Amino acid sequence: MTDDPRPPSEIRHRFEAELDAIKRGAVNLGSLVLENAGRLSEALLESQLDLAQRVIDADDVVDRAYIDLERRIFKVIALQQPVAGDLRFLISIIRVGHEIERSGDLVVNCAKGILRQQGFRLTGRLQGVLARLCQAALDLFARGVDAVASLDPEAGPRLDQEDDTVDSLVGEFYTLLATEAEGMHVDTAIELSRVGRYMERIADHAVNIGEHIGFAVTGIFPRHGDIDEQQGPV
Amino acid sequence: MNDQANPDATASPEAQATAPGERLAGRGRPAASLVYSNARRAEAGEPESLIFDVQGLKAFYGSFQAVADTTMAIREHEITALIGPSGCGKTTVLRCFNRMNDLIEGARVEGTIRYHGIDIYGDKVDPVEVRRRIGMVFQKPNPFPKSVFDNIAFGPRIAGYKGNMNDLVQESLTRAALWDEVKDKLRESAYALSGGQQQRLCIARAIATSPDVLLMDEPCSSLDPIATLRIEELMIQLTRDYSIVIVTHNMQQAARVSDRTAFFTVDVKETGMRTGRLVEFDTTEVIFTNPRQKQTEDYITGRFG
Repeated sequence: MTDDPRPPSEIRHRFEAELDAIKRGAVNLGSLVLENAGRLSEALLESQLDLAQRVIDADDVVDRAYIDLERRIFKVIALQQPVAGDLRFLISIIRVGHEIERSGDLVVNCAKGILRQQGFRLTGRLQGVLARLCQAALDLFARGVDAVASLDPEAGPRLDQEDDTVDSLVGEFYTLLATEAEGMHVDTAIELSRVGRYMERIADHAVNIGEHIGFAVTGIFPRHGDIDEQQGPV
Repeated sequence: MNDQANPDATASPEAQATAPGERLAGRGRPAASLVYSNARRAEAGEPESLIFDVQGLKAFYGSFQAVADTTMAIREHEITALIGPSGCGKTTVLRCFNRMNDLIEGARVEGTIRYHGIDIYGDKVDPVEVRRRIGMVFQKPNPFPKSVFDNIAFGPRIAGYKGNMNDLVQESLTRAALWDEVKDKLRESAYALSGGQQQRLCIARAIATSPDVLLMDEPCSSLDPIATLRIEELMIQLTRDYSIVIVTHNMQQAARVSDRTAFFTVDVKETGMRTGRLVEFDTTEVIFTNPRQKQTEDYITGRFG
């Protein structure tokens, strides 16, 4: 090392560049899922079957980006033996990648439901609540992806709080669905309740993303506070 | 500290000058039930047992200050790693623990190092006795140009050991995980052994005089990865009976073997004087997963400078 003419701070330049590329890879993965979720939302509310099919097809791109991200992380762990903040970051991004990929799958599940039902013929009230639910869940997801880009340590608790809005919209959606289900085929009602459940889950994944980023930055799991107290800090 | 459990704690070194073999046979050595006693003490709410209590240690070579004010506690039956860049004072601190620096002209220390409660730089303390209890293993294996057997027997003979030398040699080599490899070569030159075997011979030689602390100054830096792994494995086994302080440049080694890690850095003053300073001392897990100091993080993640 002493024979290297470069200043010491530049020696790990390639490593740092790779960490940066991994972060961008995670944000890109999130953007791909968000883009697909936007299509899904439109297909859902306006019964666009072509668009629903495009959502399903686009999942391959998401999966490839996810696998690529995981490989890069695996490789950098194997070759660079990261520790401390670098290790926490990489472990967190592996988890974040998984949360995003699962969210992508839930989007696809919704799209498959649209195709099975040949589109949902929603009443005006139901469509209104569902539109607000999709909007709120995808908003939360977008903010989870933002937290990755900005490495915001406070994102976890904040997103958790905002998730209450999504949860109450899911409740509102189920209540309305129950009253409007009378004139509906039972399969349609089941399929719609699934959509509600998937949106709720996507929002939960967003909260998890925020918490993983919090761990990357601070080394503390907000979620596991009481367990951490017993075992000492990580 | 429980005096009954550890009579060394309060007795003066002079009063403790038993023959090495007697100690090796059991007297004065922590009994088997005291193994991993730190954990047991913690459970009972008692303070952990310290080998070294270092308070305000400063080390000088003439007018040059090598180490700034250092305060740390080395715990019994643990491996404590000292890491940091060249010139950070970690080797100087290690050498202070058994007064090796006494041998260097102009070297002096301020502050105190208490070994089982006794100030090792105290007036009545014999540095030779200190070094017998606090053994040292060096960077390069340095066996004597003698047979394997005589390498082990040399120290005890000088100390006037009167027990069965064959038994002592066998036990020391067994503890150093070398007996099976050399039992048929005891009369051959130590130089005929491989580097890794020579280093384990040096550990066996250090053990033969019944120390309770082993200081290791980069003990694996000249060894291949397999020999390194054997030494690391051996170090962990040795914590049953000994406490170990190791200086290493290999951060992964510190992470693999040590219980606690001290990170030192070097401060360069306007006058150009380079003084080592303890930045952070914590459990190895904290140091390598979530260090509190940015300087520690920068060093262990390779962002030097």
